[in-house]
Amino acid sequence: MNARAKAALLITGLLLAPLFASAAFKLPTPEKFVLKNGLTVYFLKSTETPIISFRLMLRGAGSAQEPTDLEGIANMTSSLLMQGTASRSADTIADAVDFMGARLGFGCSEEMVSLSADSLTEHFAKLLEIGADALMNPSFTEDEFNKERKTRLDSLQSIKDNPGAAARYYFNKAYYGAHPLGHQAMGTETSLAKMTAADLKAYYKRYYGPAKAMAAIVGDIDMVKAKDLLSNTIGRWTGAVNVPAVSLPPLPKPKGMKLILIDKPDATQAYWVLGAPGYALNDPIHPQAAVMNTLFGGRFTSWLMTELRIKRGLTYNANSGFTTYSSGGLMTASSYTKNDKIGEMLQIVFDLLKKAGTEGFSAEEAESARNYVQGQFPPTLESNSAKAGAYTRLAFFGLGFDYYDKYLAGVKAATQADLKAAAAKLLPQGDFVLVVVGKAAEIKDQLAKFGTWTERKITDPGF
Amino acid sequence: MKRTIAALTLLLAVFAAAGSAAFRKEDVKVQTLDNGLKILLLEDHAIPNIALYTYFRVGSRNERPGLTGVSHFIEHMMFNGSKKFGPGEFDRRMEFSGGANNAFTDDDMTGYTDWFPGAALEDMIAMEADRIQGLVFEPQVFESERGVIASERRAGVDNNNDSILSENVRATAIMAHPYHWDVIGWMSDILSWRRDEVMAYYRTYYSPNNAVLILVGDFESAKALELLKAYFGPIPKGTPPPAVSTVEPPQIGTKRIVLRKAAQAPSFQVVWHGPNALSPDFFPLSILEKALLSGESSRLYKRLVREEQLAINVYGGIGETIDPQLFQIAVKPRPGADLDRIEKVIEEELAKVKTSGLTEIEFQKAVNMTRSDFYFGLQTINGKAGALGQAEILYGGFEKAFDRIKSYEAVKLEQIPEAVKKYFTENSKTIGWLIPEGGSK
Repeated sequence: MNARAKAALLITGLLLAPLFASAAFKLPTPEKFVLKNGLTVYFLKSTETPIISFRLMLRGAGSAQEPTDLEGIANMTSSLLMQGTASRSADTIADAVDFMGARLGFGCSEEMVSLSADSLTEHFAKLLEIGADALMNPSFTEDEFNKERKTRLDSLQSIKDNPGAAARYYFNKAYYGAHPLGHQAMGTETSLAKMTAADLKAYYKRYYGPAKAMAAIVGDIDMVKAKDLLSNTIGRWTGAVNVPAVSLPPLPKPKGMKLILIDKPDATQAYWVLGAPGYALNDPIHPQAAVMNTLFGGRFTSWLMTELRIKRGLTYNANSGFTTYSSGGLMTASSYTKNDKIGEMLQIVFDLLKKAGTEGFSAEEAESARNYVQGQFPPTLESNSAKAGAYTRLAFFGLGFDYYDKYLAGVKAATQADLKAAAAKLLPQGDFVLVVVGKAAEIKDQLAKFGTWTERKITDPGF
Repeated sequence: MKRTIAALTLLLAVFAAAGSAAFRKEDVKVQTLDNGLKILLLEDHAIPNIALYTYFRVGSRNERPGLTGVSHFIEHMMFNGSKKFGPGEFDRRMEFSGGANNAFTDDDMTGYTDWFPGAALEDMIAMEADRIQGLVFEPQVFESERGVIASERRAGVDNNNDSILSENVRATAIMAHPYHWDVIGWMSDILSWRRDEVMAYYRTYYSPNNAVLILVGDFESAKALELLKAYFGPIPKGTPPPAVSTVEPPQIGTKRIVLRKAAQAPSFQVVWHGPNALSPDFFPLSILEKALLSGESSRLYKRLVREEQLAINVYGGIGETIDPQLFQIAVKPRPGADLDRIEKVIEEELAKVKTSGLTEIEFQKAVNMTRSDFYFGLQTINGKAGALGQAEILYGGFEKAFDRIKSYEAVKLEQIPEAVKKYFTENSKTIGWLIPEGGSK
């Protein structure tokens, strides 16, 4: 495929003059103010649309901090914030937010909890009042807790009807084992059975407070007005003071191939996820890794897509990517194909992983990927919510507001040698975890040549 | 992922009145070339990028048995080689220039959506103009892409119980009209499309007079128009495609289907025949959709998910299409839930609307949701381009987008129970259950 790509690019040489001389794009530098409770808020006025976006990120309340026997409590706690406060019932909150056509919600990932509030300008004061109330005065009633728990238990069961989604669940458990990054956001049957509303209250009390939070507001509003609105809502938030320090135990480093087969007898397609160690979010390899991954499995003409979809029609989709955490990260690749092609597909993937690490990429490929990553960057910061998200994220992890300038400069400077080095370092050759969900009777023989597989049934409890 | 399908276009952006800073009717420059290609230009210099969207008036609505899914297949083949640019070259050139794209096919339209840095404009225009008529459908590539579509169908329908049920319910409710089949098409058709038939279909529907092109972003209009004229101008006008003449006959009794297969949880759907996107009845039913199904404040979410805890989720609404579409209520029941009870709750809630209508607050909620969805979409050049394109195809002109919100506001509360009485009849209803094998329900 390289030969073909090269030929095409040579023919079209005249159209490929340097493109980025005039295309500089910078994240606007925000203004900043500090509320009385110490919460730092970044501010940018943007009046193109009558929309205001608010983001708040809270460090240390994510799933990696939760006790193992209460797996899922972080996500459950953040969800229940919307299900009632001292003065508003869950229905009152839902009615008010939907009435405005607004968006209000809490997100929970491994290392943080975030609050997002977006609305038309005219509704923003009301929305912020409700969002702040949810954050500051949640009631965690028994009734709402029980409803949410039941929904989670029922959802856990139905995930297994979707082999693609189920493969991710199985992979996380197989890769992380007991490591906190492997905690299931939804909880498990065991942890949900044990969890109580009192546990949520205690978790909230311990982790939720302004000391480890960052906020940003972007949109159709003046700074004086924004400061005033926030001072009278989230500025009054006190909450936890001595929030425990956030730290992750060392991430797993698989040795050899850990192969897991999940038998789903009605599957007409086999789904797989492969993973290996990645890199931490402040690792200087990030720009090189992003360009390298673009070529390997990050865009339409990537190696994975070219070999699996474009040349052979084996699948609709194949991709790879990196997830970063404060310390360490994860590389994953995934795809699917019909039952009788899974052996062929996996062999191609193993060969490509090897080729990337040993041969690297052509000069044309490197140039194309650099252009691609730069060209696709501006839209990622286009909307008010995207800018607010970027400000909080950069502040939260101490990356600085020139982070993206440095990132883009790193992308621009990534050489062919850098990409080969990144591939050799980050794409696994023989040390990885691989999970396949499919019809064992039709795929087992094809898989045998790769090694010894641990086989389980999809109907076995848990993941 | 790119080249995806939207099976039933349930949720389309609806449009607000002019008057905001976001963008006005007057900001859009319009030009129709001699060959019938309609061009809309909207400058927006917030980021150094451009969105180039090309919409063709062709979708699964234009297909016939044996060729189901072919509109979507052609969408894929549009990236697979013309006389001028070999297979895959569109993507390679575009990505080399820093561009990316996606494409979609639905019942009524096929859209090609490109996003790229301003400097790539001429190359992108050249490649878009070329593929309107230049595709070659090289046999080996044709076969490989057939495999991709088969995989897409396996992933999107055959290994997804809710989608299997949805496809069955649609095909049961709609008997004669081409909305009978899903956009992806039947597997046996996917596996047997003939090259000559596919090429004939392509020649019929891909012409400048059957398309609208929208450019939004960082360019100068005069210069962009010059380029568009240079590349698209020489393409000859095509014969107007045949009209779709099949009209769905009235349904004359409740239809009920029960599927049984391996599953952890059941699936449930009920549909009624609704109006098309241009019917005045569309608006009261769209307001009803928001009261019944939008958000945790909605009547059915409260009853089915929260109060009776029969379901994990409930969703759906009115399809917005050229010909009359279904109003769908889809429920994700909890494992072991009583499906009869789910059906009864839905009927009770509809009966309440028939007798007492909606509240003023529910009405205002629907209007507010419509307005805020519109403005959320307008924050990006992609959102703007998409809004203009949809309005051209579905409402017959981008200008109509700006009057759409007025149509919502003009609805009188008493019209809603009238519309429910008219459309939500026993005879118009189709119910589908998917039951885990071995279970009783």
